[in-house]
Amino acid sequence: MTIPTTTTTRPTDPPGAAASTGDGRTDRTPPSPVRVWLRLYRHHLRLLRGAAIAWITGLTVVSVGVVATYEDRYATPEELALFAEMEGIPAFEAMLGRFVQLTTVEGATLSRWGMFSILAAVWGMLAGARLLRRAEERGHLELLRAGVVGPRGLTLSAIAALFTTHLCFAVAVGVSHTAAGMDTATSWALGGAAALLTATFALGGALASQLVASYRRAVGLVGSVMGVLLGLRLLAAASVTPEWVWWTTPFGWVGYLHPSDEAWATVFAAFSVLVLLLLLVVVALSQRDLTAGWLGGATDEPSRSPRPVRGHTDLATRLTAAGARTWGAIIGIVTLAFGLLSRDFSEAVADLPTMVEMGNQLGWYDIDTPEGIVAFTFALVALLLAVFAAGQAAAIREEEASWRIEHLLVRPLGRVRWLVTRIATAAIAVVLLALLGAAMVSIGSAVVGSPIAVVDALVAAVNIIPVAWLSLGIGIAVLGLAPRLTAPLTYGLVLAAYLLDFVGGLLELPEWALELSPFRQLAAVPAQSIEPLPLLVMIGVGVVAAAIGTTVFRRRDLQEA
Amino acid sequence: MSTTPVVRFTETTKRFGELTALDRLTLDVHEGEIVGLLGPNGAGKTTTLRTLLGLMQPTSGHARIMGVDAWREPVEAHRHLAYIPGDVTVWPELTGGQILDLLGATSGGYDEAYREELTERFNFDPRKKGRSYSKGNRQKVAIIAALMTRAPFLAMDEPTSGLDPLMEATFQDCLREAKARGQTILLSSHILSEVEAVCDRVAVLRQGVLVEHGTLADLRHLHATTVEATYSGQPPRLDDVAGVEDVVIANGSIRLQVQGSTDPLLKALATAEVHTLSMREPTLEELFHAYYDESTELPAGAGA
Ligand SMILES: Nc1ncnc2c1ncn2[C@@H]1O[C@H](COP(=O)(O)OP(=O)(O)O)[C@@H](O)[C@H]1O
Ligand SMILES: [Mg+2]
Repeated sequence: MTIPTTTTTRPTDPPGAAASTGDGRTDRTPPSPVRVWLRLYRHHLRLLRGAAIAWITGLTVVSVGVVATYEDRYATPEELALFAEMEGIPAFEAMLGRFVQLTTVEGATLSRWGMFSILAAVWGMLAGARLLRRAEERGHLELLRAGVVGPRGLTLSAIAALFTTHLCFAVAVGVSHTAAGMDTATSWALGGAAALLTATFALGGALASQLVASYRRAVGLVGSVMGVLLGLRLLAAASVTPEWVWWTTPFGWVGYLHPSDEAWATVFAAFSVLVLLLLLVVVALSQRDLTAGWLGGATDEPSRSPRPVRGHTDLATRLTAAGARTWGAIIGIVTLAFGLLSRDFSEAVADLPTMVEMGNQLGWYDIDTPEGIVAFTFALVALLLAVFAAGQAAAIREEEASWRIEHLLVRPLGRVRWLVTRIATAAIAVVLLALLGAAMVSIGSAVVGSPIAVVDALVAAVNIIPVAWLSLGIGIAVLGLAPRLTAPLTYGLVLAAYLLDFVGGLLELPEWALELSPFRQLAAVPAQSIEPLPLLVMIGVGVVAAAIGTTVFRRRDLQEA
Repeated sequence: MSTTPVVRFTETTKRFGELTALDRLTLDVHEGEIVGLLGPNGAGKTTTLRTLLGLMQPTSGHARIMGVDAWREPVEAHRHLAYIPGDVTVWPELTGGQILDLLGATSGGYDEAYREELTERFNFDPRKKGRSYSKGNRQKVAIIAALMTRAPFLAMDEPTSGLDPLMEATFQDCLREAKARGQTILLSSHILSEVEAVCDRVAVLRQGVLVEHGTLADLRHLHATTVEATYSGQPPRLDDVAGVEDVVIANGSIRLQVQGSTDPLLKALATAEVHTLSMREPTLEELFHAYYDESTELPAGAGA
């Protein structure tokens, strides 16, 4: 059937949709760039808010915990003197950063920031890359960039939002540490420096986001730089290297906040110059094509023809492997480093009875022996593995949230089969990562001739698998019951359980509360022998949780992000 | 009809909290037919297809594909169909070729020669990574993945959104070929002319309710064309011209609707000094407006 017409324009949009195209046909006067900029700033701040609150709270609570428990832990001069003996021991400083003036609460707290600063840097890096690359990768920036604010203005609004969270961080640390009884000036110096370090790495993430075209690669780039900077700190700690080597890395600068060093001005000057420099470079580089990067565009074609994807199991393997590679690198480096240090470390600790006693309180048994150090290492790897497993639950949810899952679920592949395949792949990845840890710790200890049997390392790895499976199972339960909370709730539970075990011991919480943490239930293998019962309970709870999650997932509507 | 219809909606209802996205839809699609599901944005087209495919559970009633309820037995129901989603997202790390491999493998086989042919006809580059594909290219991935399976039943949610006119024409050719091979198609659209070009029957949804249903000939009254003209001097006489209604004349411009042939109207306009003349098909919104003006009652049995 045809209708004779002379000119026919076909409607492609219902009326009303045209108003939002912003192509100038509408009568409204364009909003002033300043107002738009402020709205962009608020938009970015909203995106950052949740994660920022979590990181600021976590870091502040842990550090304030050190301040609040200092007096109780070192009540007598003898205890204090023994604790102070840790100062300047290369094996500690290599792992933990500069240890100075442990006889004061300020010194003891600042010395911990050698560790905490790594976490702050990770937060900064992730937030920077997330805001400036992932949003773009997902196409969220396209609309924003079409407005009256150019790419530099947009980038500046994102950086301003990042800086706002860092400012909140500085204030949170300053106020809380002063309140907990630390010297006011030192509290604020710590807050300021921690915030500047975070800002440095946020700008690092932002810079990498201008250079490479994917979030994953941006994080990989900054992560590598971070690894080098931590390596420099490790080098600085060695007794043979001169003192100035500490100054080659921002992680070393944080170590010079001790009042006795009188180096505050230098530390702040160094950070300010670095932050300003990075800021200028990021803004300069942000004038570029959308979705492209200076080191290669988003449209890059793979050089060789890629391997075909043979089905959904193959897909699950690839997606899991992509995440497992990063974690494999982290776990491999950590376990190798501790393996290499196991002998020096345990020998250094053997001279420090307080340290041994403190370790026993925290559940790190016999850290004056190489076995104790390996057990301590795997306590750390247990957290990493549990976080990896939570990340897998989040990644599975992401398939649903993005609706990519729709392609698969409209084919003759049941939801249960799809989900069980993903769970099984993640569970296997957990086992492989644990075994990798065992292998690397064995290699490290073998190199320095420390007496760790391969079997002991293997048992230590097996010991931590159930807690990661439990994390995965809980994640799947959340995926079924409250899909939109999968990532925050699962990560949150893992961190809460770990903090309960770690800080709870320092805060002297009642024993039953501490026992709630699965991490508390792990025997310090190989210093202690493995305890099967708690492990079986964890596996049981994990399987039941995963089964509930799967059943509910089968019966509910798919939900977008 | 004695044979099982390919698709049967029976009183299918889907609510999201207070909102009724789909209200007691009853509709059959028979073998070899192309049926268009027409409606403005938010009418419930996507909800209809997702409910049919078992991606969502109907609040009440049910939807069956070849007699199988896709919510209860998704694997069985999905064995003989392919689907083009409305909002196609792809795996950013996989290339277009890998995505086609994956979707082909999970479909339980496909016609490899036809895949090559489609890739060529749609001018699709399968070597690039998913993250670099534009909306049109993502759409092409889904179209090729669905068509290459040669599945007996094809469900499509606004399949041409994001395609340029040339590709749209190619796509319509593919649909006609599929029909010639006996494949059954249910496709949603908010563009009247697209549905008109390929569909045997049309079902019109508005706010989740099936308001019209029939062959294109049945729905002829939907085809009012809006005409706008400017003139000087005396206004043309349009009172007795066949098919013309809703005439608005003001300050040397005319706006009116015409049904059926435009020939009498053009002759009438020629009597005046007309400077510009434009004609366009009404938007769906305008159609629904017109529809509700002339009939307040739904035609009895239109949904059968
Ligand atoms: N998951 C959902 N949750 C809540 N409301 C929804 C959901 N999906 C669709 N809707 C609503 O249902 C109505 C129909 O939507 P949809 O089927 O997507 O329409 P169409 O595809 O015709 O544009 C809309 O009002 C939409 O907002
Ligand atoms: Mg839709």
